[in-house]
Amino acid sequence: MSLSHTDINAAKARVPLAFQAPLTVRMRRAALWIGFIGLFCYCLWAFDFSPMRIWEGMGRLGNVLSFMFPPHVWDNWADFSEVLNGLGETLAIAFMGTLLGAIFAFPVSLLGAKNINRFTFLRQSARRGYDVIRAFETLILALIFIRAFGLGPLPGILAIAVSEIGTFAKLFSEAIENTSNKPVEGVKASGGSRLQQIRFGIAPQVNPVILSILLYNFESNVRSGTILGIVGAGGIGFLLSDRISAYKWEEAWSIIFLIIAMVYAIDYLSGLIRQRIIGKWDGAK
Amino acid sequence: MSSDLSLQKVSRHFGETRAVDDVSLDIRSGQFVGVIGRSGAGKSTMLRLINRLVDPTEGAILYEGRDITALKGKALREWRRDCAMIFQQFNLVERLDVLTNVLIGRLAEHGFVSSMAMRFSDEERAMAIQALDRLDLVPQALQRAGTLSGGQQQRVAIAKALVQQPKIMLADEPIASLDPANATLVMDGLKTINREDGITVLVNLHTLDTARAYCDRIIAMRQGRVFFDGTAAQLTDDVVRDIYGLEGLREFNEAVTSTSVHSSVLA
Ligand SMILES: Nc1ncnc2c1ncn2[C@@H]1O[C@H](COP(=O)(O)OP(=O)(O)O)[C@@H](O)[C@H]1O
Ligand SMILES: [Mg+2]
Repeated sequence: MSLSHTDINAAKARVPLAFQAPLTVRMRRAALWIGFIGLFCYCLWAFDFSPMRIWEGMGRLGNVLSFMFPPHVWDNWADFSEVLNGLGETLAIAFMGTLLGAIFAFPVSLLGAKNINRFTFLRQSARRGYDVIRAFETLILALIFIRAFGLGPLPGILAIAVSEIGTFAKLFSEAIENTSNKPVEGVKASGGSRLQQIRFGIAPQVNPVILSILLYNFESNVRSGTILGIVGAGGIGFLLSDRISAYKWEEAWSIIFLIIAMVYAIDYLSGLIRQRIIGKWDGAK
Repeated sequence: MSSDLSLQKVSRHFGETRAVDDVSLDIRSGQFVGVIGRSGAGKSTMLRLINRLVDPTEGAILYEGRDITALKGKALREWRRDCAMIFQQFNLVERLDVLTNVLIGRLAEHGFVSSMAMRFSDEERAMAIQALDRLDLVPQALQRAGTLSGGQQQRVAIAKALVQQPKIMLADEPIASLDPANATLVMDGLKTINREDGITVLVNLHTLDTARAYCDRIIAMRQGRVFFDGTAAQLTDDVVRDIYGLEGLREFNEAVTSTSVHSSVLA
């Protein structure tokens, strides 16, 4: 660089703020950093993150991990089929929960879409309703439903279904709002009723989006279905927590591996299906 | 009967804008009527009033003596079926195949269950195929509408209008987004239908040449009012200058040279 000091000073005099932020801004930045670091240190202290504790924990973690090898192989059909049943049950819980959620969410989502429900007050109430449902974590719903319906898959299905109603209704109604109005007007001008306008003008536009949303959420529900089992809502999670509390770590690890394999397979399959659906022919059968 | 479609002092206001202002017209069955005028003159609004996509602020529209501005529910849907509408942007359902798009023209005949299941009878399907055949689109019948060219999509829209078995066909700038070759196909299609089926055609056009080449009668609108109503021969340069203004005429002539179409069926 070949600028002289006088050039630099002249530039500083012209646009001082280009060289240094004003005092108030610098103080605000400093205060934010102090607050942030302070909170971080307080948490370390409050939760007793001593190096000693981490070190001891690492030792025990290694101990637990060592049970991974050699993996436990079930040597009789009765034990293995119990595990397979558990996996199947988790899949079924996720499937039923997703499907039931979608069935209830669809009509509710129509209420929240601007291009279908023109009554602003009703639409806003519907949207606030979705938010209220979504505020309940699936796990909390599962605990509530277990109290009401007892242990087993039923509360798991209901927990997923109810929490998905909120999510699906929100996502569906947004998909519906993102459709073009031109096909709808085309159907209307041919003498189509309001329902026919929705069926022929809007549904073909949103169906692929809805199917894709369903598949994504099915995947994620297979994962949360595992956790629901741990609190007693049926499925493979139930077996897993049982093995862990009985210190059968070899078996627990094998179950964890099977869960990972299942989730991976579902992700892969639904990815394939999604691709097919987006390009699918979609006409009157 | 001398006037089958009759607009009587029809107005439509949008806030301060008088989109259509005190328009009275009588249109006999079987006429091929072109509506011209600058952008914003109220041409689209007039067609949409007839199809009842918008309601008039004042006045009445009569068809064969029946007031269609008072229609509701099923009767309204049947009226919309009777006056098929063709849009500049085609307004097809792009994700559905061509055949289903044409079958949408049959919806006014369908109840809840059959239409929710997208069920159509073999007779209706045959009707749709025949309509597509008249517009040379049978090979594309099972293709998705969105994959067709603009000209093909507009002809699908005409086929859909045909299966409605309409009495009137309203076309809102049907060739404004098409190249000249496709525009000719679409205009010829409308003309053929007008002559062979005796369907009244009311078409908004943005080029004077096209209007002159195809229309029995030309109506010019300006600021929501009917400014000229007569044959192509009566539409002299002086009248045209009045319709479009000097500025407009220059723009207009440019538009004419770029996208006008000449009739090949009239000859
Ligand atoms: N839905 C609407 N809301 C508000 N103004 C409108 C609406 N439709 C048309 N207009 C106005 O009415 C006038 C006539 O429009 P239009 O019938 O589309 O004219 P043209 O088809 O001749 O170009 C324009 O000023 C337009 O802005
Ligand atoms: Mg227009």
